[in-house]
Formats: sequence, C-alpha cells, structure tokens
Amino acid sequence: MKLLKIGISGVRGIVGETIIPELVMDFACAFGTYLDSKKVLVGRDTRISGPMLHEATLSALVSTGCTVLDLGICPTPIIQYMVKHFKAKGAVSITAGHNDLKWNALTFINQDGTYLNMFQGEEVLDIYHLGKFTKASVDHLGKIELIDDYLNFYFKKLRNFLNAEAIKKAKFKVVIDPCNGAGAKIIDVFSQQMGFELIAVNNEPNGYFPHDPEPRPRNAQEVASVLKVVNADVGFLLNSDASRISFVAENGETLSEEFTLPLIAKYYLDKNPGIVVTNHSSSRMIEEVARGKNCPLVKVKVGQSYSIQSLINEDGVMAGEGSGGIAIPEFQSAFDGFLTMGLILEIMAVRKKKVSELVDELPRYHIIKEKIYCPPTKIHSVVNEAKNIYADRPVDTSDGIKIEDKDGWIHVRTSATEPMIRVIAEDRSKEKARERVEEVMNFISVLVK
Amino acid sequence: MKRATSLRISVSGVRGVVGESLTPQLASKFAQAFGTYLGRGSVIVGQDSRKSGTMVKKAVISGLLSVGCQPVEIGISPIPSIQVLAKESRSIGAIAVTASHNPKEWNGLKFITKEGLYLNYHQVDEFLDIYHQGEFSLVDVEKYKTPQFKEDSTEPHMTKLMSYFNVGLIGQKKFRVAIDCTNGAGAVLAPRYLKELGCEPVLLNCVPDGSFAHHPEPLPENIIGLCRTVVENRADVGFVQDADADRLAVVNEKGEPLGEELTLALASKYILSQNPGSVVINLSTSRAIDDIAKEFNVPVIRTKIGEINVVEHILSQEEKPAIGGEGNGGVILQDIHPCRDSFAAMGLILEYMAESGKTISELQDGIPRYYMIKDKIQGTQEKAYSIIRQLRKKYAGQGEISLLDGLKILFTDYWVHIRPSNTEPVIRLIIEAKSRDAAEKTVEFWRKEMSEAAKWK
Repeated sequence: MKLLKIGISGVRGIVGETIIPELVMDFACAFGTYLDSKKVLVGRDTRISGPMLHEATLSALVSTGCTVLDLGICPTPIIQYMVKHFKAKGAVSITAGHNDLKWNALTFINQDGTYLNMFQGEEVLDIYHLGKFTKASVDHLGKIELIDDYLNFYFKKLRNFLNAEAIKKAKFKVVIDPCNGAGAKIIDVFSQQMGFELIAVNNEPNGYFPHDPEPRPRNAQEVASVLKVVNADVGFLLNSDASRISFVAENGETLSEEFTLPLIAKYYLDKNPGIVVTNHSSSRMIEEVARGKNCPLVKVKVGQSYSIQSLINEDGVMAGEGSGGIAIPEFQSAFDGFLTMGLILEIMAVRKKKVSELVDELPRYHIIKEKIYCPPTKIHSVVNEAKNIYADRPVDTSDGIKIEDKDGWIHVRTSATEPMIRVIAEDRSKEKARERVEEVMNFISVLVK
Repeated sequence: MKRATSLRISVSGVRGVVGESLTPQLASKFAQAFGTYLGRGSVIVGQDSRKSGTMVKKAVISGLLSVGCQPVEIGISPIPSIQVLAKESRSIGAIAVTASHNPKEWNGLKFITKEGLYLNYHQVDEFLDIYHQGEFSLVDVEKYKTPQFKEDSTEPHMTKLMSYFNVGLIGQKKFRVAIDCTNGAGAVLAPRYLKELGCEPVLLNCVPDGSFAHHPEPLPENIIGLCRTVVENRADVGFVQDADADRLAVVNEKGEPLGEELTLALASKYILSQNPGSVVINLSTSRAIDDIAKEFNVPVIRTKIGEINVVEHILSQEEKPAIGGEGNGGVILQDIHPCRDSFAAMGLILEYMAESGKTISELQDGIPRYYMIKDKIQGTQEKAYSIIRQLRKKYAGQGEISLLDGLKILFTDYWVHIRPSNTEPVIRLIIEAKSRDAAEKTVEFWRKEMSEAAKWK
C-alpha cells in the first residue's frame, strides 16, 4: 500500500513512493493555474527531501507563469504572515509538520495567509484531476526572486503585538528545541528581538530529526534535562514547521501539548473576550476556561484548515487545537509557534508567575492518545463500527465518533495524514482515561486485521 | 504533410518547445531516467543562457535528487566546458540544459557520460529504454543527497586551453579580436579567454541572458553585426559562437564572413602543418579538407553525420588523429577534449595567424575554394530511402558512391549528399561544387532528380 493523502489544503505522502517529482509538479502546476499566473511565495522546512520538492515546485510554478518569491527554509507561520506583506496571491509551504522524515507534503495557502478552504481546495483538485495546466511560453515564464531579509520584519511585527517590554524586563532564560526543523536558527532571531536568553538544543537546520518532530512530552526529555541544568524559566518544543508547540515547566515537568491552548486562553480572553474555536479531540480544559470567561466555544473537525475557517466565519478571537497550535486573528489567522511562545513568555512576565503556578491554575484532566494502523479500504467502517460499544448512548458523529459524559469523553477518528485510527480519551483520573482507550482498542484491534 | 512536432528525442538528446512539449514533468522524467541509467553519484547540471534555463534546470535537479543522485549545479557554462568538467571531476555524468542553435522558444537536455562524451548509439538505446519503461530507481529519504553548487566550472577547460596553446606567441601579436557570443553560454568564458591569450577583445552580444540578438546559428546571414564591428574597430579577426559555444564561424579583417566550412579548414591546415596525422570528418564536410590532407599526405576518415560518430572514430583510431570535426564550424581537438569546442577553434586560428604572420584573408586564400549549398525537401524517412534506392541504381558506376549515411556520390567536379534528417521530417540535399554558379545549377538538377525518383516506386 502506497501512502498518499490528498486533502483540501494540500498533498502528503512518503518520499520515493508517492511523493515524486511528477506528482509534486502536477500539484504545483494545478495551484499555479488556480492562481492565474500571479505572485506566489514558496518556503520549506529542513527535511532532506526538501530540495527535491522545492525545485520541483519552483519549476512547475514558473512554468505556469507565476512569479515566485523564494523564502528558502522558512517556518509555515512566517510564510503565512509574509503572503499579505508581499500582496501575493498564495503560497506553498513544503513541510510534513509533525510526521517523521520519510514524509513530506505541500500545503497550499491563499492570499489571506490561511490554508485553502474547502471551495478553494476543491478547485485546485479539479484542475489537478483535469490535468489542464497553464503552460507559459518562454516570454511569459515566471521569474524567481530570492527573499532573505524577511525575518526581522516578521519579528518586529510580533514584538509590536506582544508586551515586549515586560518580556525583556523579566530577563527570562528559555530552552527551545526546534528539532533541527524550520525553526532552527530562526529562534536565535526570536530571542534577540524579544530580549530573552536562549539555550537552544537541536538548533541545526540540517533536516535530521533527533526525535519525532512532534511537540509532546515523550519528545521533551532533552529540553527537560537541559532546563534543569541551566535553571531555565521555561522550555519549548516545536514541530518541524514551527506552527505548534508544547512546553516544559521550570520544575522540569514535561507538560502535555493540551495545556498550550487553555494556558493562553485563560490570559488572552480576559482582555479579548469572544468566540473560541477548537476541535473535537481537544481537552476539556479549554471548555472550562472558556466557560469561566463567558466565552462561547465552537468545536470543529480536526485540522488547521477547519479551525481557521470556523474562526473566520464565526469572527472568533482565537482558535487552537490540543496538539499545540494556536491562532490569534488579531496577529494572524494561522497556527504560529512563535506567537504562541511569545504569549506564554508574556503571561509569565505580566502575571509574574512561574510556569508551574500557571499550570496549577488550570483544571487538571488526563488525556490518553493512541493510534492503530488500519487499511485505508475499511478505515471508515471500522470507526463507525466502534459505535456499537456505546449502543444506548448519544454519539456525536461530526468527526468520527465522540461519546461524552460528566467525567470525560472518548473520540475515535481517522487520521487526516496517515492510514491510522486515532483513539483519544480524557478523564479526571488517568486510570479511567486509560480504561476508556483500552476498551476501544480491544474492540477495533480485531476489526483492523 | 505531417505537422512538425515540437518534441524531438534523438541521439543528440531531447529538445522541445517551452510552453508546449518541454514541461517540467518531462525534463524531470528524463533526469530520473538518466540517474537510473548512471547509478547513484554526483551529476553535473549546466545550462546555456536561455530564459527557460532555470525552469528546466530545477526540474532536472528535482528528478536527479529523487533517484539518489547528487546534482552539482554549475550555472551557465559553455558545453565544451561542461564536457571537460564531467571528465576531470569525480562526477558520474552531466546534463546540459541547452537547445544548441535552436530558436529561443526551444530548450532541451544533452546527456554526457563521465568521460565527458555524449551518449553513443548503444548508450542512447539503453537510456531511452529506461525512459520508456518508466521504471526509475526512486530512493528512500535516507539515500537522498544535498544539491551542491560549484563556481568556476570553466576552470578545467581553461587550464587545458592555456597549456595547449602557445600563449606567448599569440600574446606578442596583440590581436584585436571582435567576439560575438550571441548572448549565449560562451559569454561567461570568451572575453576572459581572449584576454588571457593576450588579445584585445571587442565584445558584441556578450551578456549571457538568452536574448539572442540574432538567430543563434553562426551562418553568414546571422552575423552582419559582427562584420560591421570588425570593420569599425579595425579588428584582426571576428569570431561568432552558437548559443552553447561548441561551434564557431570566422569573419576576416575586411569584415567578410568566411562561411562556417572554413573554420575547420583553417584549423586543419594549421594543425597538419605542425603535426601531421589523420583527419576525421563527417560525410557532409567540405572537400577542401581532402585537398588539405593531400597536401600533407595524410588520410581522411569520413563518418556518419552526428558529433558522437566523429568522436567515436577519433577515439577508435590506432594512431591518434591530428584533428576532427564537422563542416558546420565544429572543431574537435582531442588533446584538449574529444568534443566540438569553439574555444579550441579560436585558439588554433589565432595561433595560425601569429605563427604565419598572415592576415585571415591571406590564410583564407590558401584554402581551396568550394561552394556548398545545403537544401532540403519535405519528406519522411521512408520516402528518403525510396528516393535513395532509385538514384543509387541510376547512378551506379557514374561516380564514387558511399552509402554510409544516405547516399553520397562523388563526381570529379562536385559531390552530392542526400539523407533523411534525424531531427525533422525533411530530406537533406547537400551539394558542393567549385563555384557558386555550378553549385546552384547542380542543386536545381538534383532537386529534379529527387522529385522524379519520388514518382517512380
């Protein structure tokens, strides 16, 4: 089985199997045709397959007559921010986010700097399937312009948005692990602009990931041990395109990425009350925090594209997922790891509290996440089948199946990026959460065979 | 009549029209096939100055990376410099993004082995089989290489040129040389090369931006600008390169174009005067070379049309030939590299001028005069062979007949060569006679003979 996932905001697969130059070119040609030969930004994370996809994308885009501003290695949120600055018609980010090295993907971004929505995505896919791409003649080929001085611009804008003075005064010591991804070295500029002392680990943009580029506790051991040695105030982990983060408290506790959203919401909603958007798999912590601030909570399917679309449609004040991605439209409607780290530093500085104290203020839940391989041919029917465990209880089917009760919930859904079924449960007690997951895993492990 | 297609896949590589047939997808697939054919290793990627070069090059790099090769990007470079670099470096081959002398809408790929040679017929067969079968050795991410960049890609070529020529002798003469690079790849090396030979270059169309100031083929009608530059600047000689700098045409000090056939004739005459040996040329090259060879009592070896055929014959001779080439201005000097090389041709002509103390027009006078006409009629390969079959019967015994490549008949005062083109649906008719008048009359006669023969069946 060759793995290829075509979604509304891009295409993802395994390099050498499905991700080959022709496929990348066909998609980039479709996107260039969709953009009507206008200006487009291209950036990538540090994966070793990155240059293959990058060169294929540039070649294809100029062949459709698009002018390309090439940002080189660049975190997705910064590409998204620069789209508006350069008044581009769209952008391509070459990154597979938290997936391991053998994966890569193209993510398509519209002129507002957000992932393509359903309608835009379907239009690109129609062009792709039709295979009728714009072919510019030699005098109308696009040009490629290398852009290299955008970081200071972005970080100045970020500094203006945050309470930079408070952060600077606090003289924080911060450990950051960008996992040798797109955030590598760029965190140096971040620290200079924000005025904190940076202790970096895995800060080489060489594309070799020392651990899975997913910000979660099991990957945070390195940050936690360095943090204790240097007595840092906080530690952060980034995914490979710096869109999502998890953090480590000053006492060395590696916190679930689920804490990122409620921690920020608790602070940000005070000043900016309004609608909050999250997905069905995110922790109940955000429900309690939003309720406490009298802010409505809207739940959508898992995926940045859905969250951001809802954020825009509902005119919300923030969106976030339990996986550690936060978007604040007042800055930009995109999951932005630098904004997220900056806000956490601001909270620590303004409220003059340690990270562990801030975390203690949050309602404690325990979340257990499991996944199991399932052949793509029967993945949806297996998920549906799992309903039978809860014969007589109300089931929410807006994204897989979700069953809630007063102590917690269980969510069973198909992964958007891999042929996997994800089983996520939350409960006030860790054992109970574990039991909820095991009940489902035992049931479906027979079905997936 | 079949419409001429805008994609040509032949022994000299792939050529297509950008915006029609030459897409990123096509270029990348050919690069994947070439990488699969070579095996994993570093592959040089060079380009001429065409505006579509970046688009095609990036597609090639992407294709090479996907099959585990390490692309070494060298930017705009003359094709002989790419060939020398392929041989001198540790690469396993090279791809040149060029459409040679085709108009600017075209681009293409030429495939070069680690010996710095184009693929020969057998290699092309193997390579195209891989392309057509479409089974490329795509590699996992662990085997991916990082693309590299290399500056000074012309250095190995330059070193060879400088050590071959008598720079001191040429330098003494302080020649003023008008050079027209057609805004092609030659522009990155020609001005510096001439300066290092001690000449004073007068530059024309020396910006390698692909805006071909005239048709990028060094034919007399395309080089009026150079002729004027020679006169206005009182230059000793004028040179014009084609877009990828393998061919050269010459303008004398009076501003008269010599005709591309004279380039190899002048170079051969000089080489043989210094170092007698055989001369390897293709069937369509001027008889002037035979006359010159006779003067020095050396043999002439004729080959099929196609640079690789000449090169293979040069390399397979037991005794090293003195020189080889094609009448279209392609001079091959094995001591520098067995490939057509406009820089080697310039060096030979400048050294000839310096050594003899004569002007170009005086040297031109020493070359037997012939007049060549290259004509073509529409027709498929099949029709060409039918015509050739008829004419061969009709002219049996009337001249010296060669069937090496189409039909060539050598008469006492002229020769005729009829063959199907490798790249277009046309039949080529080439005539060389002693005067323009005779040549024109002969062409008329043979056009009639061909249309008569076509009717027979």
